[in-house]
Amino acid sequence: MAAEPLLEVRDLSKRFAARAGRDAPAWVIQDLSFSVHDGEFLTIIGPSGSGKTTLLNMIAQIDTASGGAVRFQSQSAPIGDPKALNPGLSCKIGYVTQEDNLLPWRTMLQNVLFPLRVQGRLNDKTRAHAETLIRAVGLQGFEQHYPHELSGGMRKRAALIRTLVYDPPVILMDEPFGALDAQTRTQLQEDLLRLWDLGRKTIIFVTHDIAEAVALGDRTLVLSRAPAQIAGEHVITIPRPRDIRGIMTHPDFSPLYQRIRAQVQ
Amino acid sequence: MTTTQSALDYAEQAPIKWRQYAVTIGRIGLGVLLLVAWKIGADVAGPVFAADPIKVAQRIVEDAASGALLRHVYVTLRLATIGFAIGCVFGVALPFLLRLLPRLTNAVEPYIMASVGVPKYALVPLFILWSGIDDAPKLWLVGLLVFYPVFIAVFAGIRNVDRRLINMARVVGASEAAISREVVWNSLLPFFFASLKIALPRAVSAAIIGEFLVGNEGLGYLIEYSRQNFDTTGVFAGVVVATALVLVINAVLVRLDRRLSAWRPTDRDMQL
Repeated sequence: MAAEPLLEVRDLSKRFAARAGRDAPAWVIQDLSFSVHDGEFLTIIGPSGSGKTTLLNMIAQIDTASGGAVRFQSQSAPIGDPKALNPGLSCKIGYVTQEDNLLPWRTMLQNVLFPLRVQGRLNDKTRAHAETLIRAVGLQGFEQHYPHELSGGMRKRAALIRTLVYDPPVILMDEPFGALDAQTRTQLQEDLLRLWDLGRKTIIFVTHDIAEAVALGDRTLVLSRAPAQIAGEHVITIPRPRDIRGIMTHPDFSPLYQRIRAQVQ
Repeated sequence: MTTTQSALDYAEQAPIKWRQYAVTIGRIGLGVLLLVAWKIGADVAGPVFAADPIKVAQRIVEDAASGALLRHVYVTLRLATIGFAIGCVFGVALPFLLRLLPRLTNAVEPYIMASVGVPKYALVPLFILWSGIDDAPKLWLVGLLVFYPVFIAVFAGIRNVDRRLINMARVVGASEAAISREVVWNSLLPFFFASLKIALPRAVSAAIIGEFLVGNEGLGYLIEYSRQNFDTTGVFAGVVVATALVLVINAVLVRLDRRLSAWRPTDRDMQL
């Protein structure tokens, strides 16, 4: 490998604290290693309960690892002490969680502007940027709506642009489109690819949908069942810009899909 | 384009309006019924035990006209307000402080919970011993009686804050102060308001009881003074005014709550 990887996960292990009345905790992740390069769109695929969210939580420094190391820009995350964590690594890593986690007492626009407000970066320029993003994902006209007044897909889109609005160089995405219908999902995938083409961020995108992993990523990692380890790695050779709706007809798609599918258990 | 707006337009307005009228009529009817029952009860019991509602009304008008009533109301309200503010400040600030010190919280929690059980009214002699017979002992009493419901509710509210929202705020770069202000405070507002509904009437009651015991002004003094003079009408007038006071405060509170929680979805059972 030529350049130093932006993010490196080395022999990472995790198990949760024991609770009374349960067996000793099992390892969720054990000796997991991979690295991510600057500007790469990495997709990670694995069965339910394979520790995908736990992995992202450790990369985002919401949770500590039990062993191994997560290094971002050659800086290691603290191990074992939750108080020493720096969630989001000073706004360098954005995190689009599985749940939208919008503030229910704030309108859609206030939610989107929330990161800028708490970072003290709310000005005419960033506000205009936010409005551009709102238009880009088709949320214009809903600025003054509260989250409970929006549909599930709209909330997801609001959560997505809430992360894009402050422009973190790395974005983690945890099955962001998991609970959506096929139509909305395709729409959002297209939105995401278009936005990614504009900014070329580093994205780690977790999903359990093989087609989604192939359609979006530069590279796909397959995780095994818990304790999670890398079961396979695939470079997605389909050229960009990609047409999400027609991607299944690309000659490379089907062989990739079959090979990944054989590894996902 | 605004889906929710058009959904609201579809809502059937007419039956809701009718139901509101029915509720209003029922309310007034119930009030009249209670007044009639009071009148009959007073006539049966005799003037020493129960005052005639008409005489009570006359007394209130007289006292109000002379300005004496206003003075008593002011004294009680002032006491209740200051005591309430003190109790609220501590009741809200302490849980926020304890949030930052989880080990201390675990250590002191049983003592705080034990102190809930201490009968506060029984402490009034101590307060008088410590701080004389001016406003101070009464403020102690009001403050303590307000503190507990607010503290317990805010404490529970803080424990109930969605961890995922806090994590989200941390990841996007919010400081701990910003998280307290934005996420924690807004999450516990419903708890806080629920506690205020208990604490506000309590503040007025505690102020009145404080005035029974010490002082020569206020609604409590008015009620107690009337009792000592076998003036049953005066006692009833004082109680009616105190009740009205609590109702007015409650109405203001409900307004404020509604404004601050306008974002919340309304359940069909919550509509009239």
